[in-house]
Amino acid sequence: MAYPYVSDREVRVISTQFGDPEARTLAGAKQRGRYQGLKTALGMSPDAVVDIVKASGLRGRGGAGFPTGLKWSFMPKDYNKPHYLCCNADESEPGTFKDREIIRWDPHQLVEGCLIGAYAIRARHAYIYCRGEFFEATQVLARAVEEAYADGLIGDDVMGSGQKIDLTVHVGSGAYICGEETGLMNSLEGRRGEPRVKPPFPAAVGVFGMPTTVINVETLCAVPHIVVNGHEWYRQWGSEKSPGTKLFCVSGHVRKPGNYELPLGFPLMDLIEDICGGITDGNALKAVIPGGSSVPLLTAEGCRSCALDYEGVSSCGSMLGCASVIVMDETTDIVKQVRRMAAFYAHESCGQCTPCREGSIWVTRILKRIEDGRGTEDDLDTLMELTAQMVGTTICVLSDSVAAPVQSSILKFRDEYLALIRHGERVGTA
Amino acid sequence: MSSKGPGDIPFHNPGWAGNTGEFDLTEDQVRGDDFVGSRPLAGAHPAGAASYPYMLVEKHPESPLFEGPYRERFDKILTRYPDARAALLPVLNLAQEVRGHVSPEAMDRVGELLDLAPAYVRGVATFYTMYNKRPVGRFLIQVCTNISCNLCGADEVMDAFLRYSSTDPGETSEDGEFTVMEAECLAGCGFPTCVQINSRYYENVKAGDIPSLCERLRANGK
Repeated sequence: MAYPYVSDREVRVISTQFGDPEARTLAGAKQRGRYQGLKTALGMSPDAVVDIVKASGLRGRGGAGFPTGLKWSFMPKDYNKPHYLCCNADESEPGTFKDREIIRWDPHQLVEGCLIGAYAIRARHAYIYCRGEFFEATQVLARAVEEAYADGLIGDDVMGSGQKIDLTVHVGSGAYICGEETGLMNSLEGRRGEPRVKPPFPAAVGVFGMPTTVINVETLCAVPHIVVNGHEWYRQWGSEKSPGTKLFCVSGHVRKPGNYELPLGFPLMDLIEDICGGITDGNALKAVIPGGSSVPLLTAEGCRSCALDYEGVSSCGSMLGCASVIVMDETTDIVKQVRRMAAFYAHESCGQCTPCREGSIWVTRILKRIEDGRGTEDDLDTLMELTAQMVGTTICVLSDSVAAPVQSSILKFRDEYLALIRHGERVGTA
Repeated sequence: MSSKGPGDIPFHNPGWAGNTGEFDLTEDQVRGDDFVGSRPLAGAHPAGAASYPYMLVEKHPESPLFEGPYRERFDKILTRYPDARAALLPVLNLAQEVRGHVSPEAMDRVGELLDLAPAYVRGVATFYTMYNKRPVGRFLIQVCTNISCNLCGADEVMDAFLRYSSTDPGETSEDGEFTVMEAECLAGCGFPTCVQINSRYYENVKAGDIPSLCERLRANGK
């Protein structure tokens, strides 16, 4: 069974079971090596598990790329207070569609990752916060969790080790901001999902006021493999600072969109041209967003030498984010698409901070005005000035996310804005 | 129901990026229905008793709240958190599962059960977009029009749904069947256009598929 559009250049570590319905059952998952990592981890001390993850150089796959082992090491090293592990499955960054695939094809891999993570940070309870839209994926996960409970893999005596770890599937109700770790914690507590001011950091005061670590689905899924095979094994892929493999979600104008697991540092153009079969209809490439809608756009020229790891994409003037590659060909109307992204952020702003609440709405209105042919050249300066005030002035980075596509598109595709402003001409159709 | 690809279903592949119908899985296998089976929503274990917004096709605005199996689930959910407040979202989900929306009266009832002030419950419920504040049609159709889907024709899909149901965005068609609205990214970007209808995802939806997809919904309920 092969996942459609696989490429022999892929390195599959966590996506091996995509397209294999057998892997969902506990028996099937065990046959495929699931829970070996948990067994190994339980034979080590929690700190030894943290150390091996630290040594592997694994970085958070949710967007920020923070070293996972380091994050875990911030947790208190005792059992004086309850600790919590929250798995962030609130996948909602436009362009990202990897976590849902993981959950629905290989739920036991995630359960195992959660259990190892919880053991390492001395948590007795782990929550998997799934976004509310994922009904089907969450049903698969809930079933898998129940099977694991019945088999003694979760509960009062995990695999006979005497460790008590509970796991609960929690479902959100539709708010992008709950993917922000402190917003997620507030939401899990039954509050509005508004991000919290840091410090205190979650490792000190997190969900229910207790030490907490929030980790992305994909990060947790890599952990069992690292524990079983060792950190050196994981470091055979990627670079010194960005080791390992990563799921790349490619969407937009490519012939074969989809999830591809590749070593970090993979060339962006190879991904588009070779693995994804090139641009739809043989059109020319116009722009690429390499890491989900919150990061700056790259021009076709800017993509040429771009290597897909955290440092490589940064040096090209963007960010790897959660590696959601959105490809736009020559038919793309950049102004329309940037306005659509801004409208998304205006809708999803939680409203706590003025620069974000007001800024995102005004940016959207001005962009709409330009799109409708009623804009002026001054509007572009206004947009730059407005978005400059939205960076670094708010509790979370949603506000910065509005600024990234707007500023980068004005700098790199000014001609398209001017064509609309001066002549009322749309450059693209999509 | 099983199907093997394009042809017998109006969407070309349920959740397979770029698949061209050459794989040998049924729709049930792709969706995971074959594994989930007829699992009771209350779950075998409280860990899996999660509640979901938008569940039942046969929802009714006057359905009783938190009775029978729903009371059981309510109790199970409550055991999973260190305080009752944390059960607020799951419990609001439960109300929406049966009624299709969360009315002020339902919110008050939830507040009573969890010992939370009505204004607090209102404040939380209005923060989250998946809580419908008024009744919706038998099929709540949410079309992702965010960037990846938009690049591949989501606006046309949205228009086609509106045309078919002769309604405006957010409104319910006269026959009470369809409520059509724009949604933000549904995390199905590789399979544009991604449409969520009640709790199910329909992927790779093209504007031309809409009439047959809606006919199928009317006939099969999914």
